[in-house]
Formats: sequence, C-alpha cells, structure tokens
Amino acid sequence: MTGREPTPVQMERLHQRSRRFTRPGFLIQLALLACLIAGPLVMPSFRVMDLVAKIMIFAVAVASFDIILGYTGIISFAHGMFFGLGAYSVALICHYSQPVQYHHLLLAGVLAALISTVVAVVISALSLRVKAIFFAMVTLAVAEFCHILGYQWSSLTKGEDGVSFKLPGVFSADWSGGALWGTQINGRLLVYYLILVVCALLFVGLVRFVRSPVGRVLKAIRDNEQRATALGYRVFRYRVLSTVFGSLVSSLCGALFAMWLSYVNPDTVLGTPLMLNILLMVIIGGLGTVYGGILGAAFIKIAETWLPDLQKLALSLFPKMELMHRLAERWILLFGILYILSVLFFPKGVVGTLRDQAEARRLRRLGRP
Amino acid sequence: MPEAILSLAGVHTHIGQHHILQGVSLEAIRGRATVLLGRNGAGKSTTLRTVMGLTPASAGSIVFDGQAVEKARPHAVARAGVGFVPEDQAVLRGLTVEENFRLAMLQESPEAWAKMETIFELFADLKKFWRAKAGVLSGGQKQMLAIARAFVGDHKLLLIDEPSKGLAPIVVDHLIASLNQLKRHTTIILVEQNFHMASQVGSDYFILDDGRVVHAGLMEALVDDEGLKQKYLGIA
Amino acid sequence: MDLAPDAGQAGRRWAARLAAVSIWLLPLLAIDPTTYLVLTVAGLAMGMLLFLTAAGLTVIFGLMDVLNLAHGAFFAWGAYAGFAVLNALNGLGWVETGTLGQGILSVLLALLAALAIGGVLGLFLERVIIQRVYGDHLKQILITMGASMVLAEVIKVLWSPNNQTVLVPLSFTGSYDIMDVVINKFRVVAIVVGLAVYAGVMAVMQKTKLGIIIRAGVENREVVQTLGYNINRIFTGVFMAGAALAAVGGSMWGIFREQITPAMGDENLIFALIVVIIGGMGSVTGSFLGACMVGLAFNYVAYLVPKLALGANILIMVVILFIKPWGLMGREQ
Ligand SMILES: Nc1ncnc2c1ncn2[C@@H]1O[C@H](COP(=O)(O)OP(=O)(O)O)[C@@H](O)[C@H]1O
Ligand SMILES: [Mg+2]
Repeated sequence: MTGREPTPVQMERLHQRSRRFTRPGFLIQLALLACLIAGPLVMPSFRVMDLVAKIMIFAVAVASFDIILGYTGIISFAHGMFFGLGAYSVALICHYSQPVQYHHLLLAGVLAALISTVVAVVISALSLRVKAIFFAMVTLAVAEFCHILGYQWSSLTKGEDGVSFKLPGVFSADWSGGALWGTQINGRLLVYYLILVVCALLFVGLVRFVRSPVGRVLKAIRDNEQRATALGYRVFRYRVLSTVFGSLVSSLCGALFAMWLSYVNPDTVLGTPLMLNILLMVIIGGLGTVYGGILGAAFIKIAETWLPDLQKLALSLFPKMELMHRLAERWILLFGILYILSVLFFPKGVVGTLRDQAEARRLRRLGRP
Repeated sequence: MPEAILSLAGVHTHIGQHHILQGVSLEAIRGRATVLLGRNGAGKSTTLRTVMGLTPASAGSIVFDGQAVEKARPHAVARAGVGFVPEDQAVLRGLTVEENFRLAMLQESPEAWAKMETIFELFADLKKFWRAKAGVLSGGQKQMLAIARAFVGDHKLLLIDEPSKGLAPIVVDHLIASLNQLKRHTTIILVEQNFHMASQVGSDYFILDDGRVVHAGLMEALVDDEGLKQKYLGIA
Repeated sequence: MDLAPDAGQAGRRWAARLAAVSIWLLPLLAIDPTTYLVLTVAGLAMGMLLFLTAAGLTVIFGLMDVLNLAHGAFFAWGAYAGFAVLNALNGLGWVETGTLGQGILSVLLALLAALAIGGVLGLFLERVIIQRVYGDHLKQILITMGASMVLAEVIKVLWSPNNQTVLVPLSFTGSYDIMDVVINKFRVVAIVVGLAVYAGVMAVMQKTKLGIIIRAGVENREVVQTLGYNINRIFTGVFMAGAALAAVGGSMWGIFREQITPAMGDENLIFALIVVIIGGMGSVTGSFLGACMVGLAFNYVAYLVPKLALGANILIMVVILFIKPWGLMGREQ
C-alpha cells in the first residue's frame, strides 16, 4: 500500500472526464440547445415552433421509454397511458380551477408524478414478479382500460369531446408582452420555453440515470439476469425502479403536451396510436441509446407533418386509382410496414447503428499501431 | 474389420461468442459401447449435442452411418437413427409413461410394441407405472424411462449423457446391468463421470479436455493406467 | 408460509376457486333471477367466443413461447371474411330472404371462409415474420404489434374505416322465449359451437399423437425435436389452427353483433389477453374457465354498472394475479 496510483479503469475514467466538454457529442448538444433557444426568435413560424415543441416532448417521452425497454428489457404498453395520465392531470386541474393560477400547474405536475408512480408501482409489483412478458400483457390491458375510462367517465373527462382549458398568467394564450427584436412575446412562446427547460432537465436526468450505478445494474440485468441475480442484485426491485422512473417521466411529458395544446381528448393522449408512435420512434432511433429518442421523434413528427402534402402529391399523380387513394389515406399502414421492417432489418436504429460503426472504427484504429 | 457408425472429424462448435469444441475427432464402432470421459466442462455434453444438431457444428464433418449429418436439424438426425438421452433426464413430466413411449415411436408399429417387451424385462418398474404421470417417478425410474424411450425409437445409435448423475449406488448397478443388456441390441456412446460405470459398460474410450480429444484407446488398458486416470480424470 | 408451502398452495387454490364461484353467484344478490338467467346465457356466449381467440393465443404461447399480439387481427379478418361472404350470398337471395336451409348454409360458408382466411394469414405471418424472431420476446412483441396494426389498416383499405352492418339470415335472428327467459338464438349457437370446439381441442390434445406432441412441446421443445419431430412444422400448424379458430370466433361475433369495425381485433385481443392471464398461459382448460369468467362478469357488471364492465375484468385479473400469479391453471416456470 504505497502509492495512490490510479488503476487503469480509473485512468480511463479520468481521461473520459477530462474530455467531457470537448467531445463532439457535447458540442452537438450545445449547438442543438442554442438552436432550440434562438429558433423562435430568429424564425417566427408557428408551424415550425409547434413541430419543434412536439419533437422535444416526444424525444423525452421516447427516451424515458427507452429506459424501460432498451435498458431494462421490459415491454410496457402503458407508456402512452402514463403520458395521458399526466396530460389529463394538467387539463382537469386547469379546467376545474377558476381562476387558474400558477400553483395549479405545480399541483398538476405533482399530481401527475404521484398518480403515475402509484399506478406504475402497483402494476409492476403485480406482474414483474412473475415474468417480464406478463408485464406486456397486463399493461396492454390496463392501458386500454384507461383509454376507455377516458371516454366513459364523461362527468369528469367530458368523454370524446375532450377537455379544453386555459393556462395561468403569462402562459395563457391571450397574454402578450410586447415585442423583442421583432418577435411577438406571448403566452405560446413562454410555454415553448417552459417546455424547452423542462425537457432539457428531464433529458439530462435520463442520461444521468443511465450512467449512474443503477443504470449499469439495469444493463447487467438485461444482458444476463441469472448472473445479476447471482451477484446479489435484487433484480425485481431494480426492474420496478426503472419502470416507475420511466413512467414518471412519461407522465410529465404528457403534462407538457397538454399545456402546449391547451386541450386533451382520449384518443390523442391515451389511445393506441400514441403508443404505436412511441414504439416506432424508439425503434427508429435505436433501443438502449437514449439519444435515439431525439432522432426517432424528429423523424416521425416531421414525417407526420409533411405526409398530408405527400398524400396530395400522390393523389394528383394518380388521379384515377381509387385503391391508391385509400392506401395514401392510411399512412399508419405505411408506418406499420416501416416499423416491421425496422424491427427485422434495422433493429439497432439510427443511433445504435452509428455507435456500432464508430466503435468498429475505433477498434480498427487501435488495431493499427 | 471394425466399422465406424459415427465419426467426427475436426468438429468445432460455437455457442454464442464462446468457442466450445475446438476440433473434436472421434469414432464409435458399430456394436460396441464407447465412453466419453473428461472433467466437468470438458465439452462432453456439447459433443453429443453437436451430433444431434442441437448446438450445430460451425466447422468439421460428422458422418453417421455413411451420411453427412453436420448440417442436419435435430429431428432429421433422430430420424436417421440417433437416439439421445440428455443430461437432465428429460422425461416429459406432464405426460404419462405410456405417452412418453408413444411419443418416442415415430410409427406405432407392432414391432415397436414388441420392443416394449424387451424394455419391460429390463425396466420392470415402467410397466408398473404405465399410466402414471412421469413426473411422479423416482430419479432412477426417470432415467430408465429416458433411456428406454430412446431405445424404443428404433435407433442404430444411442447417445446417453451421464445417466448415473445423482443416482444411488444400488440404482447405478441396476443401470449398468441394463445398459449391458442394451448393448446387445444397439451401439452406445456414453458420457460418464462415474468411472466404475464407465469401465463396466464401455469398450472404447475417448478423453476430452478443453474441447479437444486428448486421449483414446481401449477401456481395458485405461483401467490399469493409473497415470492417465490421474492426469485427466483426477482419479487416484 | 415458508414452513408449510403445501398449505399455502392449497389455500391459494381454494381462494382462486372461491373467486371463480363468487363471480358466478354473487350477482344473484343484485339481479332478479329471470334477468340473471338471460345475462348468464349472454355471458357464456361471449365467453365461448372469447375462448375461440384465447385458445390459440394460449397454446401458441405455451408451445412456441410466442406472445402473438396479432391474434386479435385474425379475429377481425375472420369477421370481415364472413361479412363479405354473407354479402355475396345475399346477392343470390340466400341471406335476408332465403329459406332456412339457405340461411344455415350461408352461415356455414361464412364460417368456412373465416377459417380459411385465418389459416392463410396464420401461415403467412408465421412463415414470413415470426419464424425470424423465435426466442426473442422483445422482437416478437414489437413485430406482432406491428403486424396487428398493418392487418387492421389493410381492412380499412379493402373495406372502409367505418362500421359495417352484417347481414344475418332470418333464421339466426330473434330469440327463444322460455318462461319469460328471453334467449337470443345466436347465443345458443355460440355456446354450442364453443363447447364443441373446447371438446374437440381437448380430445385432440388428450387422445391423439398430435396432442401428445403438442403437450410435450409445451413442456420441452428440445426433447420433441430429438425424438424425431420437425418442431417448425408443428409450430406452423398450431399457429395456423390458432389463427383459424380466432377468425371463426370473429365471424361468429360479427353475426352475433350484426356490426363489425376494423378496431374489433384490438378489443378482442385485450379480452383474450385477460382471459389467458386469468387462465394461465399454455393451458386450454384454463382459458376455457377464464373465458367463462370474463364473459359472465362482463355481462353482469354491464347490467349493473354499464361503464365498469371492462374495469371489472381488469379487477378480476388483478385479483387472480394476486392470489395465483401464474393464473388458474398455469404452471410455475
Ligand atoms: N449455453 C452455453 N453457453 C455458454 N457456454 C456454455 C453453454 N453450454 C456449455 N457451455 C460451456 O461449454 C463448456 C463445455 O460444456 P459441456 O459440454 O456441458 O461440458 P461437460 O459435459 O464435459 O461437463 C463448458 O465450459 C461450459 O461452460
Ligand atoms: Mg455434461
């Protein structure tokens, strides 16, 4: 016990840490953040701002899904439901509080977190103990139940019509605070920045979670459950923890989403299409990458925005073919096929594939002295 | 001239990333009992499983009865005439003893049922428990059932993986007697850690270590070769 | 409980039985007997149709270790196939205006068409998609989910995204009136068909060589292979049979409800999953019991508190998971 020389592992860690602020990944993140902040001021287009806000929200929702699916290997079909629980928390509290005030938003956030935690704990305690696949089945059933509840508990949720509501104070759609460098400062813009701040924080939280000791244990469990058990980890507890954490973040994303739209209804925040969208995004972005969520969300949301134009184009190109028209109307069909093909042939997604390539390059460099 | 019913030449097997068999070559002579020896993890079970096609060979050739079977799927290997008794006595516990046998008979022919007479002579308990669920049998009886089940399937070669594992000495003696009876009907490859049993049943032996055959010869010679046994089998 | 594991086991078994019986009898406290009988028949009919889907789902899961989320899509396709056949036959005057014989024949043809389309879709799905993902639960679930979505969308392209009304032969509509207990005729048909299918499946599983192979495969696939059976072919066959049963269930559902929608597959899948969880994955008898429980509970609750009907089933599932985590007849693994 003479010196305190760092072990090779510690050396590697120190080295990585010293490069933390110069890695290309970090620079890209910084640039992205700068664009998101400056975007609405430089280019005041509502359509773009709307798209970007939704991408941010979904990027975080997808990344939190990735914690459950990609890092823990658990399939939850309730991620959309938790999103919806968060959305309805905000919508109902703001709708029923007259006049709506800032603390109501806080209350809604806390309520969303609380409800989703309780529900996630109950579901996982019941079904994760048995077999991971049970969880998929149970969440599917419970999520469908919530979707139907959204329709049928109309005294509270207003059923199919949905709930529209006003946000408090400066976040309200009617609020206006003059102009800054030629850009109208209004409620929408402030909600956009609120979403940006919360999403950035949540995203950093997710990345930290994955890199924390807990995240490493989760990966060990996913890769070899028996070994992790043999090493003395309480697999069940870690799984519950990860599921609850991911679901909690999802509900907060839902809360932001409701704030952005000032409106919720069962189909948009509780229905199967939402869940399918999240699945598609996580597959395209890449499982087990967290960052893949950003790409997946951007790809799908942009595609969704431009698809109507593409459809019109397709229709004008083939004016006579009725079947073609019907196919073009059913863009979920196209997404579904894309999704199956990605699971089969592109299972690592964009980010996963890029990482593999980078890793292969690094190994090749190391191989050549 | 002795004729090989099964011959492996330079067989390699990978399981996932692991390179388990690293060039196994061995032969089993028709009508004789061949024993595979070696310490735990040497690759004995993997050799049998590779012959069956359960962990397919990544390189090398396996010839059974004149047919190349290294690419064949398990059911095809079985239909070619190889019976398999896996390490964990895979009797189907939820099926009755009768159903276990019916499953083993690809054709429920009169000849197959005639063979059952031989089996009942060797393993009288199986007749007693004919309609019972296999799950209620004792460990020894399960092992008998697994072996008898492979035998009834009309195979030219039986691969039997550590039948004595976990059985009481008296049951092992019964097993030895039964296998010596079976030898008269079929060729056997036996994986065995119990040297007593191996020496009582086997005529030829191969010793595996680290996924390779490191020694081979006649059982009679090995019984007296204390040096070899010490080196590879840890038997003093 | 650790000291007396057997007592705990027995206790759980009795608790499960108690739950099953109370679902059946408790509603009598709140519903008058005549209505109760009507609801019971309706519940059993619904249970039988659920069983047709759940049977395939549970056997496919037990044997192939595949959770097939596209199973509901077979149900919907069966319904649309039956609908198309009845429509075509109505053009010949067989359905709405035909004789009794023509009516029965057209329903049989509709069920046959469903059987065929289910088999073909099952063959296609198993061979083209599922065979690539054996052994990988994650991919299976993701990909069968995608297949389910695509199949539902194709229905919308081929027919329409909206509801369709199914034409039903006169002889199958209407009801029997037995001492004030009004029983819809088709419900009787559904119960008879369901019982027949259950008896048939059980006979195949218990008495035939194929049944032995399937039960053996549920227990240990490797052994079945090393005994000389091509497990892939058995997988394909079982998958097709399961898909065909679900499709027949769907087409009966369509005739029963006289309404079909592209989303009916998803709904049915949810019910079937609940049934399979309650009954225990891999067990046909468990599915049969689970389907009866779910069908009965749904109808009793729908009568008492209409909006809680699905919720009641979720509750039953939760209770069963609580007392027997592997389901009524499931084997611990
Ligand atoms: N499924 C598997 N995955 C990884 N390694 C395996 C697997 N099966 C066997 N092995 C390894 O292969 C080696 C040989 O195993 P085996 O053939 O069972 O040995 P033996 O039967 O001689 O005791 C062992 O080191 C074992 O750890
Ligand atoms: Mg072994």
